[in-house]
Amino acid sequence: MKDNNAGMSLLFKTSAYLIIMLFSLACLFPFLLMISGSLTSNESIIRDGFHLIPKVFSLEGYKMIFTFPDQLLKAYGVTIFVTVVGTVTGLFLITMTGYVLQRKDFKYRNKFSFFIYFTTLFGGGLVPWYIMITKYFNLSDTYAVLILPGLMTPFLIILMKNFIKSAVPEELFESAKIDGAGDFKIYYSIVLKLSMPGVATVGLFLALTYWNDWFLSSLFINDTSMYQLQYYLYNTVNTMLFLSQMATGTGVTLAKEIPTESTKMAMALVVTGPIVFLYPFVQRYFVKGLTIGAVKG
Amino acid sequence: MVKRRIISVCMIMTLAASMLAGCGGSKEKDAGNTTTDSTQTKDNGTAANTSDSKDNKPGGIDTSEKVELQFYMLGDAPKDLPIIQEEINKLATADLNATVKFNFTTWTDWEQKYKLLLSSGQPIDLIFTADWTQYQSYAKKGAFLPLDDLLPKAAPKLNEFVPKDMWEGVKVDKKIYTVPATWKEYVNEGIAYREDLRKKYNLPKPESIETLEQYLDGIRKNEPNMLPLADNQGYQTDAILQLTTKIINSSGNIPYGQIMMYDTPRDITSYWGSPKHLEDLKMYKRWADKGYWPKNVLNVKDSAHDVFASGKAAAVLGGENPNRFNDSVIKIKSTHPDWELGYFPYPNAKGFASPVHPIHNGFAIPRSSKHPERALAFYEKLVTDKKYNWLTQYGIEGKNFEVEDGKYYKMIGDSQSSGFPREGMQSWAWRNPEFMLFDKSFDSVLAMFKEFDKVARPEIFQGFPEDWTPYQAEKAAVLQVEKQYLYPLNVGLVSDVEGGLKLFMEKAKQAGLDKIQAEYKKQWLKYMDDIGK
Repeated sequence: MKDNNAGMSLLFKTSAYLIIMLFSLACLFPFLLMISGSLTSNESIIRDGFHLIPKVFSLEGYKMIFTFPDQLLKAYGVTIFVTVVGTVTGLFLITMTGYVLQRKDFKYRNKFSFFIYFTTLFGGGLVPWYIMITKYFNLSDTYAVLILPGLMTPFLIILMKNFIKSAVPEELFESAKIDGAGDFKIYYSIVLKLSMPGVATVGLFLALTYWNDWFLSSLFINDTSMYQLQYYLYNTVNTMLFLSQMATGTGVTLAKEIPTESTKMAMALVVTGPIVFLYPFVQRYFVKGLTIGAVKG
Repeated sequence: MVKRRIISVCMIMTLAASMLAGCGGSKEKDAGNTTTDSTQTKDNGTAANTSDSKDNKPGGIDTSEKVELQFYMLGDAPKDLPIIQEEINKLATADLNATVKFNFTTWTDWEQKYKLLLSSGQPIDLIFTADWTQYQSYAKKGAFLPLDDLLPKAAPKLNEFVPKDMWEGVKVDKKIYTVPATWKEYVNEGIAYREDLRKKYNLPKPESIETLEQYLDGIRKNEPNMLPLADNQGYQTDAILQLTTKIINSSGNIPYGQIMMYDTPRDITSYWGSPKHLEDLKMYKRWADKGYWPKNVLNVKDSAHDVFASGKAAAVLGGENPNRFNDSVIKIKSTHPDWELGYFPYPNAKGFASPVHPIHNGFAIPRSSKHPERALAFYEKLVTDKKYNWLTQYGIEGKNFEVEDGKYYKMIGDSQSSGFPREGMQSWAWRNPEFMLFDKSFDSVLAMFKEFDKVARPEIFQGFPEDWTPYQAEKAAVLQVEKQYLYPLNVGLVSDVEGGLKLFMEKAKQAGLDKIQAEYKKQWLKYMDDIGK
């Protein structure tokens, strides 16, 4: 009986490992191609295509980026700034909203909830939104426009509200009040601490949205030094695409040097690299935060 | 219970109220828009009256109030833009009591952004227009201000400077909506080939179908590792029409498989399904069998230009206009000094060349502009004042460029390091032939243009404003059929060419090809009437 069980689990384990290994290989493969592509000379890529081991080794892609890295570094700075400020402020606002909305003694909580949920179902659409931000708020070309629209996501507020509801028993508020804690004190030292797993989840969501965002730069930023990282990358690729589509029929000529295949790969690596290495370390804390919160709750 | 009911009633009321408020808001906004519109036109009117009485002011317009103009261009901004903008503003403040802000859309989603800029009512004073930004359709929708009355008053010099026939050319519904560029440019395509290999194997110059085939055969025999043709996805079809017929357009194709000859433009027929089409398709089949392109040609995504420039292929039929070909020559000189490139432009086969249509590059004043007169006066400076023109075309002399031998442009640094490369602001629209500087290497293109000038005949196809709303659904359906049935024929993947073509025509007719062609013909003939052909 025991042996049989062990055999089953061994079989299960080997097959599970095998499948996971195959999957991770499939995920790793494009990344390897990218690395080798960035180290291949551009001409060889066009002549022979991509290979796992560069046919003609060359560092020209990286050379091209690092001769004038100022724009890339600036874009890095903008994205990091926006992600940090946006995530911290966003977390603060979302947790507070969630906390307030789930307090039973808040009279208008249903109305406010409804007001927030309503926007998830009915939106104004792109053009009115654009008009509002550029014409009435005058936010074009400011860092604020990169941060503000993502601060209060209805979905995350709902998530936070429900999380606090389940993690913090209502009696706790009463006892804290009896002990002399004010509303903000309750929020700060009880609710926040108890709902750490929720905060971690929402924080991760927020940070990822800010890190991956390019659309806001695309719409509202004219100043090249304020581009977000993803947009900077996306834009260079698009310039090439435009050239290949338009240049033939229209005779359009662009003065800017267009990046070659190998430069593109090198750029993608430079942009994703740090995050790939950062992620495992940060993730450990996320898991830790999640379990600590879970045990206490 | 009662309390709950009251709450739910309240909820319904708030919901209803918010909906009503929403409707009311939009109505109010609409009303607001129209009123501002009318006041704006009134303002223009009064401004016009006052300016008439004060003719001593520059350009005959009132410049007493200092304004900032919003200038919009497609593409990316050059690195040194702030410096250039400052210099321009120094000049403009003195001349027109105005400053200008240069805005760029980048090439990411530029079509969507262009639409937003014009539809949001955001104040914009000058914006780029071209046939490929749908100038005619926006002008018809009323996105731009008509310039007919404004031009003589705000920009008399510019009004004189642009030739009459160009003003006529850009008219939409008998009104001028954009200021065309005056430099005559040719963007016709041609065959680019390897002259060094041609000499080496003693092959004929590819200047007709027969010689082209001989050249490609020779390459196939002597250079087995090389692809004879770089064109992928059947793009050679447009080029072959340019080479073998006197087709009306000078690049690209005429949509929905139609064809008209330059000399008889009213005579519009279907190329698809015609005997000539069948003959061409049979030729492509023969070419495919000889191995001019790889079997997986429909899936090749590399640009033909790159494939040719990397030495993988020996000729390219489409996409090489004189300017671009010249560019390849310069680039290849540095990477492969032993190569020699040859070029056969299609106008040599057709017997005439057409410069680009006036609407190809221009600047319009959107309806949302707050200072249309000042904007036009500023644009006049940009085109006709050498100081403005050079600053925005080439940058600062001595810092970004220098003039060599009195007439050649020379960039300081290379295109990577330069903060303002030649035409770094995508300044195609305000090129002024009198002030233009060219790189020394551009001489060969200019020589080619000079040859074209001798046989030049005006472009008439590009100005045609096609309105596809009547057959939008059919258009998509036919495109799908074309991809599925015609593309394989174009690259010779179907063994029975005649049957394949018959099947394609049948499917295309089912998808509504006849309706499209009839409607297109109607619009085309109306356009012919309008331009008096």
